[in-house]
Amino acid sequence: MRRRRQRPIPPVSEQSSDAELLHAIAAGETSALRLLHHRHAGWLRARLRRRCADPDVVDAAIQDTFVAVWKDSDRYVETSADAAAWLWTIAVRRLLSTLRGPAHRWLSGPADELPDVATTPSAEELVLLGVEHGALGPALDRLSPELRRLIEATALDGLSVREAAKLLGIAEGTAKTRLMRARTRLRELLT
Amino acid sequence: MTTDWHLDPGLLEQYETGVLGPSRIMAVEAHLLACAGCRALIPADDAWLADSWSAVYDDIHAPRVGSIQRLLTRAGLPEHRFRLLTATPTLRWSWVLATAAVLMLAVAAARVGADSSVPIAQAFLVLAPILPVIAVSGAYGPPADPMHEITGTTPAAGPALVLWRAVSVIGVAVLMATVAAVLLPGPGWYAAAWLLPALLLCTGTLALATVLSLPVAAGILGGLWITGVLAAASDERAVASMFGPTAQLAYLVSAVLAAAVLILRRRRFDLGENR
Amino acid sequence: MTIVAVQGLAKRYGATVALDFVDMEITVGVTGLLGPNGAGKSTLLRCLATALAPDAGTIRVGGLDPAVAAQRTEVRRRIGYLPQNPGLYPNFTTYDLLDYVAVLKEITDGRQRRAEVRRVLDEVELTDRAKTKVRKLSGGMRQRLGLAQALLGDPALVVLDEPTVGLDPEQRMLFRALISRLGERRTVLLSTHQTEDVGALCERVVVMSGGRVVFEGSPRELAGVAEGQVWLSEQPPVGNAAYWRNADGFYRTIGHQPAGAEAARPSIEDGYLLLLGNAVTTGATR
Repeated sequence: MRRRRQRPIPPVSEQSSDAELLHAIAAGETSALRLLHHRHAGWLRARLRRRCADPDVVDAAIQDTFVAVWKDSDRYVETSADAAAWLWTIAVRRLLSTLRGPAHRWLSGPADELPDVATTPSAEELVLLGVEHGALGPALDRLSPELRRLIEATALDGLSVREAAKLLGIAEGTAKTRLMRARTRLRELLT
Repeated sequence: MTTDWHLDPGLLEQYETGVLGPSRIMAVEAHLLACAGCRALIPADDAWLADSWSAVYDDIHAPRVGSIQRLLTRAGLPEHRFRLLTATPTLRWSWVLATAAVLMLAVAAARVGADSSVPIAQAFLVLAPILPVIAVSGAYGPPADPMHEITGTTPAAGPALVLWRAVSVIGVAVLMATVAAVLLPGPGWYAAAWLLPALLLCTGTLALATVLSLPVAAGILGGLWITGVLAAASDERAVASMFGPTAQLAYLVSAVLAAAVLILRRRRFDLGENR
Repeated sequence: MTIVAVQGLAKRYGATVALDFVDMEITVGVTGLLGPNGAGKSTLLRCLATALAPDAGTIRVGGLDPAVAAQRTEVRRRIGYLPQNPGLYPNFTTYDLLDYVAVLKEITDGRQRRAEVRRVLDEVELTDRAKTKVRKLSGGMRQRLGLAQALLGDPALVVLDEPTVGLDPEQRMLFRALISRLGERRTVLLSTHQTEDVGALCERVVVMSGGRVVFEGSPRELAGVAEGQVWLSEQPPVGNAAYWRNADGFYRTIGHQPAGAEAARPSIEDGYLLLLGNAVTTGATR
């Protein structure tokens, strides 16, 4: 049975912040989950569709994401990470586990449904925010596809190197080397 | 996180249709994660959103499938029938635990008092048939089921529902009593000798319930059984003969008769039927 | 279009006559069954809902006869019933209770049942209370849950026994809004002893007294029963007619015109009281 907070939760509305909604969800408020779903399902769907062409798989991943949030919102309350980034991390892992089928539950076994670590933007991600203006854009475009995919999986999707390696079907060591190479290459291209 | 640059509908459309270059895609995605305003720009597909939410809502509310249900489903019991049976008033943990406690006490008493265990085992023998009858008395209708007026006016109401519930509670009670009977010291045949009387009392109760209410029918037959047993209690041989071969045959024949009455008059279980 | 037709319906409990050969017809929309306690309202509704078999008379629901065993199940498929004491299991959650009743209403497919439960929860505005145990619901919410279970399976006829009893004004208003929405495309039959409910909700009203139907018509026609028999005067009327002082300080009399009194517009309650013969202590209307 999940732990419920004893303190009364103020009523939630469209104006409530993500953190307030997640607190209310932890207290068992279905209405808060609905608000969170309506706020985030749209962009999650748009982004997941860039990862997977099958709309049914995407829809299932989004449903799984919010069911997982309902069951385990306490985890969020403890980490107090950025809600959007947290949701994305769950969603992308859900999508991967669906894609790889029940035989490959490694990405999200039932034991660790939700990531515990606070998902703060990585250094690369911060740089990416400047992609539109700086020289990073052309640099990324000139990066070889496998290096770029690795950057995408780690920096953008928030996967660990290990998860990224399994996603791309390469050994963890190879992924580490490639990631290092990608960073060096980017630095070269940027100077 | 603030940034001067924001997405516009044109760029979002290009992103969604997949015509952007790799770095631009990454830029859009990184920005989406950081900017709630731009996330809200993604056009909402209301029908899709409603469907997606419905699926989430159903998933988090649907009753959890427990291990007992999984076992029964594998044995061929449909999920909806399981829902009907779990709402049986007497089929609650409180009732199951109380019955189990009584049985365990009887077994414990018989084991501790090894010398005097034969009378205790005999007491068990005569009382065990009553347990399923008690269970049946609260399986359907007033006063055990507070929702009987709603239950009784649904299309599922009627003899089928009464029998399903009766069978399920009798099954559970008999199972528990059998476990206790096996654990009981005393002659081996004790463990099975009470089963036919229990069968007679249960079918008899249900047959009588086509005329009277279930609790009244259960009270009458249970009372008759106890009175008979008490009358015979002074004589150990009389008790033994109550479970002898002749008596057992008589129980079986009577139970078959009661079942025939039950089948003929089963429609009388319906509240909307004239009485 | 007649949905329910009742003819010569009679029921007695021992020496007590509950229904004294009742005839009535009910059409689409909201019909109120008005009457004092013991008038036979509940007995009539229970007979219609197939919870009780009448001693005599016939009932037709959508042309079907509940007295015939084979047709009774079909009648039950078309009726949603909220008894006066629904006895909703206190330890069930709102959702589980509806799920259970949905099974009783033969919605066996799991996916279909979940959609149906979600639909009725939405209809009575309890969507966010699905995880709450029945015993923790307020009186108004519990009553809405009772209504929700009646709506499972989308019945053509909804029978509600005293649905507004014991509700606070806010809940009563919400409940009225729900019922009037139901009446847009269904037949709703509700019993009450509150004339306000009838005035606010019902297109038709049936007044019962002593096991008989004493009036059938629109609420306006019920008020019309007292036309020309309601009076306002500044002084209390002489004689023993029933009267009371209203908020404006006038004396309101039903029955004969007291000296110096002016005729007043009759209300639904005036008509109702007059019908029951309680309004006048001496035989003013007899």
